[in-house]
Amino acid sequence: MIKGYAGRVLEIDLATQTFSFQPLDEEIARLYIGGKGYGTRLLYDRTEAGIDPLGPENPLIFATGPLNGSVAPQSNRFAVVCKSPLTGGIGNATCGGNYAYGMKRAGIDIIVVSHQSEHPIRIEVNGDRDEVEFIDATDLWGKGTYETQEILGKKKAHAVIGPAGENRVLYAGIVSNERIAGRTGVGAVMGSKRLKAISVTGTRKLEMDDPEAFKTYTKEIREMFKEHPVMGSSLKRFGTAGIVNTTNARGMLPTKNFQKGHFDDAMTISGEYMEDHELVGVKSSCLHCPVTCGRDVEVEGKGRVKGPEYETVALMGSNLLIGDLKKVSEWNFLADDLGMDTISLGATLSFAMELQERGMFDAGVKFGESEGVSELIRDIGHRRGVGDDLANGSKKMSEKIGGHDFAMHVKGLELSAYDPRGSFAQGVEYATTNRGGCHVQGASMYLESVGPLTINPQNLKLKADIPVLMQNTACAINSMVLCIFTTYAMFPAAIHDMDPKSLTHRMMSKAFENSGPVMRMAMGMKGKPMLWFEKWLTYITGQTFSSGHLQEIGARIFNLERMYNLREGLTSKDDTLPPRILNESIYETMDSGHPLGELLPRYYKLRGWNADGVPTAKTLDRLQIRI
Amino acid sequence: MSIQVELTYDMSKALGQRSFELETAATVREVVAQTAARFAEGDDFDKLVRCTAVAVNGVLVNYRKGLKTKLVDGDLVGFVKSSAGG
Ligand code: SF4
Repeated sequence: MIKGYAGRVLEIDLATQTFSFQPLDEEIARLYIGGKGYGTRLLYDRTEAGIDPLGPENPLIFATGPLNGSVAPQSNRFAVVCKSPLTGGIGNATCGGNYAYGMKRAGIDIIVVSHQSEHPIRIEVNGDRDEVEFIDATDLWGKGTYETQEILGKKKAHAVIGPAGENRVLYAGIVSNERIAGRTGVGAVMGSKRLKAISVTGTRKLEMDDPEAFKTYTKEIREMFKEHPVMGSSLKRFGTAGIVNTTNARGMLPTKNFQKGHFDDAMTISGEYMEDHELVGVKSSCLHCPVTCGRDVEVEGKGRVKGPEYETVALMGSNLLIGDLKKVSEWNFLADDLGMDTISLGATLSFAMELQERGMFDAGVKFGESEGVSELIRDIGHRRGVGDDLANGSKKMSEKIGGHDFAMHVKGLELSAYDPRGSFAQGVEYATTNRGGCHVQGASMYLESVGPLTINPQNLKLKADIPVLMQNTACAINSMVLCIFTTYAMFPAAIHDMDPKSLTHRMMSKAFENSGPVMRMAMGMKGKPMLWFEKWLTYITGQTFSSGHLQEIGARIFNLERMYNLREGLTSKDDTLPPRILNESIYETMDSGHPLGELLPRYYKLRGWNADGVPTAKTLDRLQIRI
Repeated sequence: MSIQVELTYDMSKALGQRSFELETAATVREVVAQTAARFAEGDDFDKLVRCTAVAVNGVLVNYRKGLKTKLVDGDLVGFVKSSAGG
């Protein structure tokens, strides 16, 4: 077995309450690493086209990678893969906490949960004794994710769902500690299996190819992270919400259901404000991560709880015209406890508010008013009253009620909090990302709009190129499995220290804008490992991973996801953006919206797809993708 | 003429206000100068503004005419820091 892997796949059948340990497929591991990549390969191979995402045929795959189980910073994340009930295409989400570490300590790389139980059930896995227990979970059914984890205790690592998953809210997530695998409705799939929780324990050690080199180098990187302006300063001090004032000043903070990109009260929902006024501690970190981007805030009646992240303060703050951090924190806690993705929830709430404003639907909530929102969130989690409509997400709601032009989703997945009219590459990424309108499947906006060395985000230069490179990188990172925020350390401190008003900075930004061919060539080169995650993978597995290797593996994963989507009926017509984004301008420098139509042909070409967005036989062959 | 100016969080903490209005400012350079004048010496305006870009109505002036970018009535000038979120 390749080093870094436990070498075992745990197969669980809920219908028969049986299990078996199977050997990990080394060929798949070599081609797809693990995590999201391995999971996608299994999903593609094991399912027929057109299965019901909430039916018994949809497997729920928990997947770790070779970095999990190590003490590398940001390496305690696992991926969940299944068919998405929200989009009908590929579903996946990653999650921090301690569960990935727990799986590897149990000596398990992948858990595949098949079929459905007839009654609420939970599973306990003891990896040392190779035991799997199926335990009735009727007593836990209906309980929130916090209480459930408290009852299950601290001796094992848990992945649980809340009432939203049980009630198959289409954007329900799976929770581990205070973190959530939020996107694409993976929690609804777990709920459809009546599986309340999986708990894992074990004391197995991760075997590495070169543990000494790994140890020494990891120490070095920990030091680098400590000094880094993002890892050791802004993310650490302000959490992800430290970006609010930046996106607001750049006119790309979703405001009033993406009607505007600027919110007058942005300051009071920002990470800096949180630190000065609301913060009661910084404890919320994924295991072994020195970045500690999580915040703790006080919520009335609940005490000290996890504070909201950027996506939440934007989509449940500015996007609803709410500038009250206390309210957003309360809703964030509610959503976490019910087990729901706050991005889809926030965008569905803003959609309902706009429908209300136009007299098309009344969910009892209005822009700028917090009244009724908590109750509505609870109703969504339990699918009560109008909450039942909102539980289906904005796409399905717009199909039933209308409002297609301002339903802010791609492929059914609600957009993240970076308005793509202020970040054209991010728009291409949203439109083409296989799981739908998400920012962490590439995070092009960092290179383009909000990072320390940006390019003009409103011309066509590099706007198709950046998403390809970043999506490939993200696919590889989500397969190791590492936190995507690790890419924020790619710019060294010296770049952060430059004055963006200076001539040198402007010249560098211009050079960057014209660097397409050089950048593609450099990132495609298969040489020695240079970046920290390339070196970690190399030290752990004993195989060589350079940027070129990871670009190739990432492209393989991305194209396999694409083939899955095509098989499920999602085509180039779904590579689009909400009409509001395409047709309405929020900048005086733009006559219309995002110029996606001008960028997609180049994107398809760079990907090796035909004009209909289908990977050519040559591309599949080059990437060794078996269909 | 009215130009709305929005500050970064650190700047607003030093000045004690998040934003203010200017009655006249023909260019971004003038906004920067008038903003600097509002800060006390001890605030170290130069340090506060050093790694800060400037945007007019959401568009960085780096992609327009830099500090020479002309302003019109109703413009919103924002000081922006680079950042990373999630
Ligand atoms: S940076 Fe934040 S989300 Fe990423 S691993 Fe660290 S604590 Fe978790």
